[in-house]
Amino acid sequence: MIQYSWLIPLLPLFGFILLGLGGKKLSKGLAGIIGCGSVLAAFALSVGVFMQLHEGDKHIVKMFDWIVAGDLHLDLSFIIDPLTSIFLLIITGVGFLIHVYSTGYMKEDEGFNRFFTYLNLFVFFMLLLVMGSNYVVMFVGWEGVGLCSYLLIGFWFKNTEYNKAANKAFIMNRIGDLGFLLGIILLFVTFGSLSFEDGGIFDKASSLARDNKGVMEAVGILLFIGACGKSAQIPLFTWLPDAMAGPTPVSALIHAATMVTAGIYMIARSQVLYSFAPMALEIVAVIGLLTALFAATIGLLQNDIKKVLAYSTVSQLGFMFLALGVGATTGAVFHVTTHAFFKALLFLGAGSVIHAMSGEQDIRRMGGLAKKIPITHITFLIGTMAIAGIPFLSGFFSKDEILAYTYERSQVYWIAGVLGSMLTAFYMFRLYFLTFRGKFRGTHEQEHHLHESPASMTIPLVILAILAVGAGYIGIPGFVLHDSHWLHHYLGYREIITLSHEKEWIIMGIAIVAGLSAIALAWTVFGKNKTVPADDEKGFNSVQKLVYNKYYVDEIYDKLIRKPLDFISDIGYRVVELQIVDGVVNGIGTGVKWIGSVARYVQSGSVGFYVLAMVLSVIVIAMVKLW
Amino acid sequence: MKAILVLSGLGIIALLAELFRFRRVLFPLVLLGLLGAVAAALSYFWFDEGKEWNDTYVKGMLVFDTFSILSSSVIIITGLLWLMMSQSYFKEESSKTDHYALFLFSMAGAVTLTCYNNMTMLFLGIEMLSIPLYVMAGSKKDSLASNEAALKYFLLGAFSTGFLLFGITLIYGATKSFDLPTISTYVTDHAGEIPGLFHAGIVMLLVGLLFKISAAPFHFWAPDVYQGSPTSVTAFMSTVVKTAAVAGFARLFAYPGFMADAAFWGPILAVCVVLTIMVGNVFAAVQNNVKRLLAYSSISHAGFLLLAILSNAPGSVIYYTAAYSLASLAAFAVLGIIMQHSGDDAMERFNGLGKRSPLLAFTLTLALLSMAGIPPTAGFFGKYYVFMQAFASGHAWLVLAGIIGSLIGVYYYFRIIIAMYFKDVPAGAEGSPAANDLQQLVLFITSLGILVLGIMPDLLLNLFK
Repeated sequence: MIQYSWLIPLLPLFGFILLGLGGKKLSKGLAGIIGCGSVLAAFALSVGVFMQLHEGDKHIVKMFDWIVAGDLHLDLSFIIDPLTSIFLLIITGVGFLIHVYSTGYMKEDEGFNRFFTYLNLFVFFMLLLVMGSNYVVMFVGWEGVGLCSYLLIGFWFKNTEYNKAANKAFIMNRIGDLGFLLGIILLFVTFGSLSFEDGGIFDKASSLARDNKGVMEAVGILLFIGACGKSAQIPLFTWLPDAMAGPTPVSALIHAATMVTAGIYMIARSQVLYSFAPMALEIVAVIGLLTALFAATIGLLQNDIKKVLAYSTVSQLGFMFLALGVGATTGAVFHVTTHAFFKALLFLGAGSVIHAMSGEQDIRRMGGLAKKIPITHITFLIGTMAIAGIPFLSGFFSKDEILAYTYERSQVYWIAGVLGSMLTAFYMFRLYFLTFRGKFRGTHEQEHHLHESPASMTIPLVILAILAVGAGYIGIPGFVLHDSHWLHHYLGYREIITLSHEKEWIIMGIAIVAGLSAIALAWTVFGKNKTVPADDEKGFNSVQKLVYNKYYVDEIYDKLIRKPLDFISDIGYRVVELQIVDGVVNGIGTGVKWIGSVARYVQSGSVGFYVLAMVLSVIVIAMVKLW
Repeated sequence: MKAILVLSGLGIIALLAELFRFRRVLFPLVLLGLLGAVAAALSYFWFDEGKEWNDTYVKGMLVFDTFSILSSSVIIITGLLWLMMSQSYFKEESSKTDHYALFLFSMAGAVTLTCYNNMTMLFLGIEMLSIPLYVMAGSKKDSLASNEAALKYFLLGAFSTGFLLFGITLIYGATKSFDLPTISTYVTDHAGEIPGLFHAGIVMLLVGLLFKISAAPFHFWAPDVYQGSPTSVTAFMSTVVKTAAVAGFARLFAYPGFMADAAFWGPILAVCVVLTIMVGNVFAAVQNNVKRLLAYSSISHAGFLLLAILSNAPGSVIYYTAAYSLASLAAFAVLGIIMQHSGDDAMERFNGLGKRSPLLAFTLTLALLSMAGIPPTAGFFGKYYVFMQAFASGHAWLVLAGIIGSLIGVYYYFRIIIAMYFKDVPAGAEGSPAANDLQQLVLFITSLGILVLGIMPDLLLNLFK
């Protein structure tokens, strides 16, 4: 099966080509079948690959020599190892569910076929990203998913605001990509390889790391800048909340479950390099932790159901980077997995709510939906519980593992981490209570229209809910159940935790108590007292105002970066571009044209002249060379 | 060798076809024959991968090695595609069989140019290639331009053949042989004491060959002939004929003896490279007539090919000719369709083609991007490898000239692209030009080829090792 793994990315690509060529000629039903079917087939193959793959295996499936130039030899080839295999399952599995969900969600949209075309293209690039066996193939996938993200955020391109959001996402990502690219170039220049194969970059870097400490740190930081862009970390996180302009399944697939975790994948893949870059790793941890806290606080006061989830995603991604930073690579991948399930579930649930509410996204206009849309309600509650860290649900185990490793690195980080998870529990239950409990606060018309979503949308919800409950069991910590952490053995990273079992129990206990108390607080405020957030920021104190306005980060960026850049580029345009560059270019152009127009008289059409020219040329050559 | 036999045999059959009135089966027959020839050429690679060939024929006067097999494959495939796209050319005249025969004999000459091992065979190949061409250039009997083109081509061609023959004679005088390996050993054995007679011969030979590949300052015939000839014939000249002439050129100067004497002819060629690239590009930039523009662009590409020959990089020569032939076929095919539709070949005829015939516009764009050398097309790697090899063999200045030329090239290639996509459909233009089925197939194959070679250049380059 592994030798056929190249089919996994090819199938969605094939789907993309079919859908792209077919365009509007295909019926919606057929487009849906092609879109879902290609991803389902890729999922089936991924399962096959997963079954055949043993712990510690590493297969390289070579397609062909791609670029050979001087010292640079790049293959288009795929790497199949446990890390890739886990990501394959997430991308194709969750991807398939979201495809199915979309057939219901997008049913009435006239861009239905276009939607699936982009979605399949996205899956292709995402698979390329996690399967590429060198940094360049990974980068191609990396850029490709960025492109698809752009296309899908701006899917409803008639809305200018959405287009702006798409541009913002693209530009922010480009800043990160530049860091990534520089990192790749620096790696190649220093070590002369970019391949993940044995004897490739990781082996070379390991043997030469001692003499290149500075380079290793620089590479670590540059790669992390790339990860910051794609995975929405400080300071490049502001695009992700705006990206919610895209259709909700896109938010679930791209901006929660898969694409935004590409940064985690990249750093996990580069784990060997980071093991020689302690400073870079520290930066990863600190930025991750700050982002986790920062985004969580913003989430406290958001009123748009998707925005809350978006900030929650940023915050959870911060936790994953914290895990990477403190050396818990397994924990990070574990949290990627569980997060993919419960966050996709939450987004799809939110989509179902929006669907039921006829497009309303403001939770102040909701309330009391529990009885009207029971399946959505139950599954959403499960998702909320999983992300809040209620014991024995998936999010509990992965978050606990991260916190345990964090504790071992630094107790200050740990306290901040616990605080972050408390905030998460609070704002998620705030969201839950405001949406599903209390009285309905929307218009009469909306109430009249309330309905449960069709089966194509609820079945994925149920499946994801089951996964959100159960996925934690691939990583039950060893101190709870002896010899049980399957994921740890499967991925095979050498991470040893030195905490005593008692301490681990205590850490877990504190996290549980903290989470439950945050939920209790949310219940008191929004469940029991039925507080509804005010309609505007009047009555807020200054801290609340600051948080409500997302710390004015967008405005600060606007003042500090965009305005000066605008100013510089304006000068650049008027002076450098129009006067100097255009002058020179036009001058050369006019010169070439002038020469051409004068010289064309030589091309007179007279054969006699042509013969003369030839003879003269021969005479000149003979004079110069033979005498 | 099989290819030459197949082509000549087909040519004779085509002549007989007129006599026995089975013209109608001629097209499928020739198509099949060419396919067979392609298969025969490619079978070498299929069955004995990585083998060194050195099959000799006609008492050692023809030698089939990797270079000849690859370049004759390029020639035959190009010829096949050309035949498919130029069906209208074969239909429009009464004397259709003549055209088949002329085309086939010319092809046989082209293949001979890739495998000669003897001066007489070089001469024979060039003449077999050229004489049918003189007739083909003038095949639009009622067109003054076509007649003028034929006459000019013939007069100047005969003139240059004189130089070629004179060169061969002088070299024979110095070395007492037509046999290239013998001449080659003569040069290596007499290093440092090579007579002026030999060098004079080289100069004459160079002039004859430079004329054939339309390198400046021996290019004057090319724009007039290219523009005057029927568009299909122009396409043939700028693909098959150019490939064959360049292959013949490259083959001769790759012989160790000739290479050893590079200090003598290298500077001449270097000057020609700069002149050709500059003349081709600068003149193309001021053209408003697309056919003439493509003619000058064809001259400029000859400059890049000369650079590859000068750097002794036969692999790059083949890759570049393949890339250029594909792009050129596509460009001329679209041009032919436009001309048929609107009656002339002014740049304005391309205005708004992106809206009228998106598929044609797309393939033409791809072809022009490839000619301009923009990735991910084959043309990019063609230029890239030429520049790289030239740089490695110490011709940095020529690379600079090449880059400047390419920049000018981008300007005029993009003029067409801009016309197609950003200019409005002219008022009064009716209908949308469309390709017939065979032309569509050719456009599809060439576009695919441009992309595949551009993404996986090693596919072709690896064969040449």
